[in-house]
Amino acid sequence: MKIIGLWVTVGIVLFSTLMLNAQEPQTIVFLTWKPNQPEVWERLIQQFHQEHPQILVQMQIGPHSSTESHAVVTQRLRNKDASLDVFLMDVIWPPEFANAGWALPLTSRFSEEEQKKFLPATIAANTYHKTIYGVPSYLGAGLFYYRKDLLAKYKFDPPKFWTEMLVQGDAIVKGERDPALHIYAAQFKQYEGLVCDMLEFIWSHGGHVVDPQTRKVLLGEPPSVEAVTFVRDRIIGRAAPRGAINYEEPESLEVFIQGRAVFHRNWPYAWAVANDPEKSRVAGRIGVGPLPAFTGHVSASALGGWQFGISRWSKHPDAAWEFVKFMTSLHSQKILALEAGLAPTRIAVYDDPEVQERMLHLKHFLPAFKRARPRPTSPLYPMISQELQRFFSRAISDRETDVEGLARATSERIERIVQMEAAVQQ
Amino acid sequence: MTWLKKTGFLLGILLSAAFSLVPFLLFVSSAFKTQAQVTAIPPELWPSFSIDFFRSAILRYGILHYLANSVIVAGSTTVATILLATLAGYALARLPRRWAHFSLMVILACAMFPQIAIIGPLWRFLRFVGWLNTYQGLVLPYVALTLPLAVWIIALFFREMPQELEAAALVDGCSRIGALVRVILPLSVPGLFTAAIFTFIYAWNEFFLALLILTDPAKQTMPVGIALFQGEHTVPWGEIAAASFITTAPLVVMVLLFQRRIVTGLSAGAIKG
Amino acid sequence: MIPANRKFLLTLLTPALLVLLVFVAAPVIQSIILSFHRIIIGLPQLKSPFIGAENYRELLHDPVARHSFLVTVFFVSTTTFFELLLGLLLALLINHRFPGRGALRACILVPWAIPTVVSAQMWRFLFNDAYGMINYLVFADKVSAYIPWLAAPGTALFAIILADIWKTTSFAALLILAGLQIIPEQLYQAARVDGAGMWRRFRHITWPLIRPALLIALLFRTIDAFRVFDLAFVMTQGGPADATNVLQLYGYKKMFVEGWMGYGSAISVAVFAMVLVLAVVYVRMARRRLLEATL
Repeated sequence: MKIIGLWVTVGIVLFSTLMLNAQEPQTIVFLTWKPNQPEVWERLIQQFHQEHPQILVQMQIGPHSSTESHAVVTQRLRNKDASLDVFLMDVIWPPEFANAGWALPLTSRFSEEEQKKFLPATIAANTYHKTIYGVPSYLGAGLFYYRKDLLAKYKFDPPKFWTEMLVQGDAIVKGERDPALHIYAAQFKQYEGLVCDMLEFIWSHGGHVVDPQTRKVLLGEPPSVEAVTFVRDRIIGRAAPRGAINYEEPESLEVFIQGRAVFHRNWPYAWAVANDPEKSRVAGRIGVGPLPAFTGHVSASALGGWQFGISRWSKHPDAAWEFVKFMTSLHSQKILALEAGLAPTRIAVYDDPEVQERMLHLKHFLPAFKRARPRPTSPLYPMISQELQRFFSRAISDRETDVEGLARATSERIERIVQMEAAVQQ
Repeated sequence: MTWLKKTGFLLGILLSAAFSLVPFLLFVSSAFKTQAQVTAIPPELWPSFSIDFFRSAILRYGILHYLANSVIVAGSTTVATILLATLAGYALARLPRRWAHFSLMVILACAMFPQIAIIGPLWRFLRFVGWLNTYQGLVLPYVALTLPLAVWIIALFFREMPQELEAAALVDGCSRIGALVRVILPLSVPGLFTAAIFTFIYAWNEFFLALLILTDPAKQTMPVGIALFQGEHTVPWGEIAAASFITTAPLVVMVLLFQRRIVTGLSAGAIKG
Repeated sequence: MIPANRKFLLTLLTPALLVLLVFVAAPVIQSIILSFHRIIIGLPQLKSPFIGAENYRELLHDPVARHSFLVTVFFVSTTTFFELLLGLLLALLINHRFPGRGALRACILVPWAIPTVVSAQMWRFLFNDAYGMINYLVFADKVSAYIPWLAAPGTALFAIILADIWKTTSFAALLILAGLQIIPEQLYQAARVDGAGMWRRFRHITWPLIRPALLIALLFRTIDAFRVFDLAFVMTQGGPADATNVLQLYGYKKMFVEGWMGYGSAISVAVFAMVLVLAVVYVRMARRRLLEATL
């Protein structure tokens, strides 16, 4: 009821504002997707209205998936749509938005001193050619969830290596005598999430797709190829159900919280869901930690998360900035952490006593967050991602695939994309 | 012989009904389950008849207001399309063969282009005339996209009608429009209703254009609304199932009410008699 | 014959043509123009140079596009065939008078009344490899036997085809039903009096007279099937390994995801051209039947 009331109020106010053609209050349009806990966001926006009565925020809901959201946002921005002021950017978008001139550079408003208060990886993701284009809101990193009750029963410590996980998993599955129990559940559908999961395997084997320093494409090199082959041969259809090839986050999480998997890879949001007794059959019996690695290598997590950006063509950049500043303030991030379970990007929030008390697990996530690695940064990342998705999906779904040959062919295509981008950066 | 035919008949009816309804019922049964039941492994067939999802779909997700928007958009589209298509269909049925054939093919060609390619230039045009986020900004493209099929159906119906009827009406002193309205129209009602159903359901179902043209939640139509139920990583199957039920039921009821209109018609033999 | 008042008739035609011109023809022409340029929206510095037929040349050599074409053709032929067949059977069924006929007609509308994106979600839910109802119906509680329908290239395409047949058979059925109802009852009565059985009545009365309706159904179904998008987008995103990467989905990814506006438009124009050729062939085949008054 309150929600409808709020919408009606916002709608009426907006309508009357347009009718009166008033100079103030200014209305700014904020395009987002449907949050997992919309009430929390709406409450924050209400608080913003109280503090800034001259600014009215109209929230528009777009599609939830990163790819679709990208299509909708870029469609409006590249057509210089002035009716969009603030939007959320996935962690992989800022280079594209910066290069295309869609996001407003924020150097004059977002000082370096202020930037230091955020986790460095998130600031790096928003920076393109030494200019900052977005303010990080909350972040994600690939985390490793496990059934601590099962591990305790079989006297295992959480595995540090992938092979260790397989061994533990085998023992547990045999011991439990449950034919429907799998070792591992993760996301392997042909979509953006596949890139995250596969990169975590590749990085934890010492491989790269695009070397961040040299910008060379190393997808066809042995470390990367071996990691992909490992997933094809040992994970898909073995440790993980065959159906994982069609899993996005919700399906893989379902398998885990229905008690059908011992280990699980997912973003931080899964913690709250898995511990919710109304949804999960394993509430209270799970642990979380960094992802395993290959022997002799270090664990790696893919960096995720969302940032606020301001449109270049916004007619109210100052009002938009006030809103962005408010939504990414210490106060807001704390509320989002406490009530929506969203991992904050401001370091100070992790040290807040209330957060520490109620969200102890966030402190556990912090090492993984600090180590989270970005996917290849490029204004043409969507193209690179499509090539990677195609390659990974083919490689892992068909046992007959010549992984190395395919990897080399894909490398060449990615190389061409990287060169296209370099040619433009004169 | 008749016993065999009767059983075959009955079997056919049952299979058709089952084929159409069973998948839908399986899905909608989730609307009556509890949260943990929805994605239980293995699945549970019988719901516990909880209406929490309905409550949630209506109150938290606002399905009724999306429904209202869909009715407005689909209703306006149908009225406009049938109006234009009736005029055009009549014209095409009475024009000389070559003109009619050429026009029909051109109109058909308009139905062939993939929507994803049209949306870009269309969106820019709508922004130019300030029709983004307005009902007419969505209705008019819908009219354009449903006209081809409607025109073809209605033209076919008018073609089947011999011209003696109009001749008689004109002799009786009717104007051409009068002849159209008073004599032809009532006899072509099955064709009009068929075209109307196709148009309505197209406009009811359409997603892509609605998503990009109506971004204001106050105006969004139902397919967009339901697609946007999905949170960042959550798929509220229960609410989606409840919403599907709420949005399909009125259509089915509507058809049940109007289907008699579709039945009566030319088969009464009015023309040949 | 009434002398055709051509001006009057053309006036009737104008409003429809106008709407089509502004909202379809103009965007289509713009799209075609775009397909002759190179446009990468992520690199506006490259501007949008005119490159002639380069996009089309690339399209012909694009292995992914070729694969998409094959997937789409397979999809179109399978779905159209089954939908017309089942639609015809359904229409014949409903055309008889029996109690509850209205209810059956309303039943078959259910699949079609659900928005495509919702029904795609529904099938994705039903085909799920762990909690999907289809697995449950086939294998009951034996969870280990469950098939991951959407995870293997063959079964994924099958799942999409089934979803489409479920959804669109009623479209064909309704169209053919409309055609059936034009046929005067007297013809059947006369035939029955002459001693003609069910099959002969069908072959000599029904079949010739519903060919126009069948043609419209075939035509429009083919056009729509070539442009299938929502099902593949929601159920599989084109995977696994591009097994369900139908042409319009590929075009969408190129245009809206990767930003190749010119190339994506070329894909759309290619689809358009293919459908146009097919349509011309269909219409020519049934030309006499369609545009001339019967009897």
